[in-house]
Amino acid sequence: MKSFWNNLKQRPVLLLFFGFLFGFLVLDGLWPNREFSELENKKLAQFPDFSLESLLRNEWTAKYGDYVKEQVAFRDGWIDLQSRSETLLFQKAEVGGQLLGGSDMLFTKAFALKGSEERQLPRNIGAVSQFAARHPGQVTFLLAPSASLIYPEKLPFHAPMLDENAFLDEIFAAVGESARILDLREPFTAHKDEYLYYRTDHHWTSGGAYLAYTAFCAQEGLAPFDPAAHTAVEVPEFYGTSYSSARNWNAVPDVITYYELPSRQTIWDVTGGPQALTALSEDDLYDQDAFATRDKYAAFLHGNPGYSTVTGEGEGSILVIKDSYANCFVPYLTANYARIGVLDLRNYSYSVDALMQAEGYDQVLILYNFQSFKSDGYLYNLNRDPIG
Amino acid sequence: MVFSTILFLFRFLPITLALYYLSPPRLKNATLFLCSLVFYSWGEVRFFPVMVLLILINYCSGLGMEKAGERQGLRRFFLIFSVAGSLSMLVFFKYTNFLITSLNAIFGLSIGLVSGLEVLPLGISFYTFQTMSYSIDVYRREVPTEHNIIDFGAYVVMFPQLIAGPIVKYRDVAARLHVFEGRCSWEQIEDGVCLFTFGLAKKVLLADTISALWLDIIGTYSSSGVQTGAAIGLANASTPLVWLGVIAYSLQLYFDFSGYSLMGIGMGRMLGFDFPQNFNLPYISRSITEFWTRWHMTLSGWFKEYVYIPLGGNRKGKRRQIFNLFVVWCLTGIWHGANWNFILWGLYYFVLLVIEKLFLLPVLKKGRVWPHIYTMFFVVVGWGLFVGNEPGVGLGVLLHKLFIPSGGVSCLYFLRNYAVLLAVSIVCCTPLPLKIWDAIKQNRWMKPLIIGLLLVLSVAYIVGSGNSPFLYFNF
Repeated sequence: MKSFWNNLKQRPVLLLFFGFLFGFLVLDGLWPNREFSELENKKLAQFPDFSLESLLRNEWTAKYGDYVKEQVAFRDGWIDLQSRSETLLFQKAEVGGQLLGGSDMLFTKAFALKGSEERQLPRNIGAVSQFAARHPGQVTFLLAPSASLIYPEKLPFHAPMLDENAFLDEIFAAVGESARILDLREPFTAHKDEYLYYRTDHHWTSGGAYLAYTAFCAQEGLAPFDPAAHTAVEVPEFYGTSYSSARNWNAVPDVITYYELPSRQTIWDVTGGPQALTALSEDDLYDQDAFATRDKYAAFLHGNPGYSTVTGEGEGSILVIKDSYANCFVPYLTANYARIGVLDLRNYSYSVDALMQAEGYDQVLILYNFQSFKSDGYLYNLNRDPIG
Repeated sequence: MVFSTILFLFRFLPITLALYYLSPPRLKNATLFLCSLVFYSWGEVRFFPVMVLLILINYCSGLGMEKAGERQGLRRFFLIFSVAGSLSMLVFFKYTNFLITSLNAIFGLSIGLVSGLEVLPLGISFYTFQTMSYSIDVYRREVPTEHNIIDFGAYVVMFPQLIAGPIVKYRDVAARLHVFEGRCSWEQIEDGVCLFTFGLAKKVLLADTISALWLDIIGTYSSSGVQTGAAIGLANASTPLVWLGVIAYSLQLYFDFSGYSLMGIGMGRMLGFDFPQNFNLPYISRSITEFWTRWHMTLSGWFKEYVYIPLGGNRKGKRRQIFNLFVVWCLTGIWHGANWNFILWGLYYFVLLVIEKLFLLPVLKKGRVWPHIYTMFFVVVGWGLFVGNEPGVGLGVLLHKLFIPSGGVSCLYFLRNYAVLLAVSIVCCTPLPLKIWDAIKQNRWMKPLIIGLLLVLSVAYIVGSGNSPFLYFNF
């Protein structure tokens, strides 16, 4: 035994290697399991239930492999180390699918449409056009451009981003035949020195949303919300979804701004269809608990419930059919409408026409950003059980 | 089970090594056998009987050949029985559907495909070759029959070389399998640890990261061929970018395969076995002939010993030699995959090797720089043929893009993004890193420092990125 230890001491490499392997074998056993990784914004695999059947179908072994990987001791540390090595050691211009741009901006890497998006995009254009044609004069279509389109000079050296301009031209031309369109490329480019997009998140900022909102008001002939008349609250230290993917060591956190409003948001249970809505909860527009977590953007309108309504101080009503870009946009609409319906087709699979009829909406704003519009698989819900 | 996973590094390997080292000397082979069976069955339990059957066929044939003594006919019967057993399994699992689609295409038939053959039994191309080497060597009386089925089983299913070689002949390890006391020396284990770590770093830090460049062009696909990641698309890439992509793929393939082999050799050492070298810096070759003495050496060695030389090698005249080469390269091509492009790739090397044999080799010997360029050019184009059938590629488009200059997405971003990685990769294709290692490993502290650094970085990459399986998984 003594010679064993003496031998081992002579060989630091062995001590290190076996210490490392056995150390983590033991440490992993003691390491507490996590349900959720806040940093990655992702549910982590849990110890799989064992059954002979799942073993024979090779499911158990595969799940166990995932479990071991996702619950490994110091997981967050390992991921940070990898990201650091990518940026510092290998000097990469992209990490985790995010392009590391100028002014500390992260851009979602999109060099081309995926095969699935090539099929989805024309369907989505068709779905919106069909819906707007059924509701002539009632529909406005706002498609927010990506940060990479407004700030091409901040992209990494010669990054071959897809030609979003061409896609937007094509989409607006097609949808413009039946709906009013709101193309924001010009106002956004004109105001590009403002803080329009988060550095570490794929959303626009409340400032970006406000700029879009004023363009909407100009088009509709409305008097816009006056920021100066309201109290702005700033929530610092926001590290968004792009950061969760990139985990770049030198990320500069964002600041979220919101306006204190008396408006209330009611979230409806839609499982009975549009004729049998029951209120689930009533609250103000911001989920204060979410501001305390990592995923702070989810505070706006309490994330993405299927259908909710917001009270306002204006007149009439409007239905906003949207992705998460609308979540920080809708609060401004409270200045113009008495009631704003907020519909997320990812969590609502009933007739939109029936909802409009039941809830009495005669004006619709469809608000998406290009990146989700090209891949969203739920827009067909617009034309589910059409009326008329 | 894949070597470059947390499951393997922090579970299977430490547990297996501990059991192996703590086993009483006589039980070491049994421990190795059992642990290797777990390793083999982990991904596909249903192939467990395949392995058992293969072991039994070859084990019994070995005994049969011994019992037959001088009855040559009976010995031959057992040889044919065992080789047919190994080969039929390989052919059934790997080539059935290829044969059916080819027959359908040639004769206009519509035979249905056999389902359940989408996934190959792990490492079947490797271990069937190993069992054949055993039976043939026993037949030739070059190695004594193995009487202990556990020892024999431990040889066939031994996990370090199971998935990706090196193709270890039974006679390479037979002696070691029967050394029980003091099988592993400290020296050997330490060597093994270093080799394993280098192999892991090659696979995880170089192969998996450089692969992203090629995938940026062709896209990522799920096992069923559905595109899961966006890509520029081969048709939209400019000619320089396609060349950069194929070069990146060539680097990836080398680091992937040689890294895996090196991990296998390293773990073999840790267990007390000396496996043969499988790669010897192939990309510094100065001719295609030399390249094939440096790339996947145990496969070339196998074909040379069990096909080329028995056919007569170069002893029966030039014409016969060319025919023999033709046979070997058709087989080498088809061994790499059940598809026509692999046969094409094999024939491509047949043609190049014959040209070199006939007149080019002496000319190449005189050159200094251009033979390197010549060799790498044909090797890289060869990998183009090799990859030509993957989803997102298309051999026609690839060759068109490579050889007819065309515009499209420029290579500048990719040169910038992968600059350091490409530079490191190219340096790692030369003898320089080994020279540096030889110089610094004398230092008591530099050695653990380098090993520790590579190990920690590799684990960070394994945890940080989605695991990419071994490229040769379907071989």
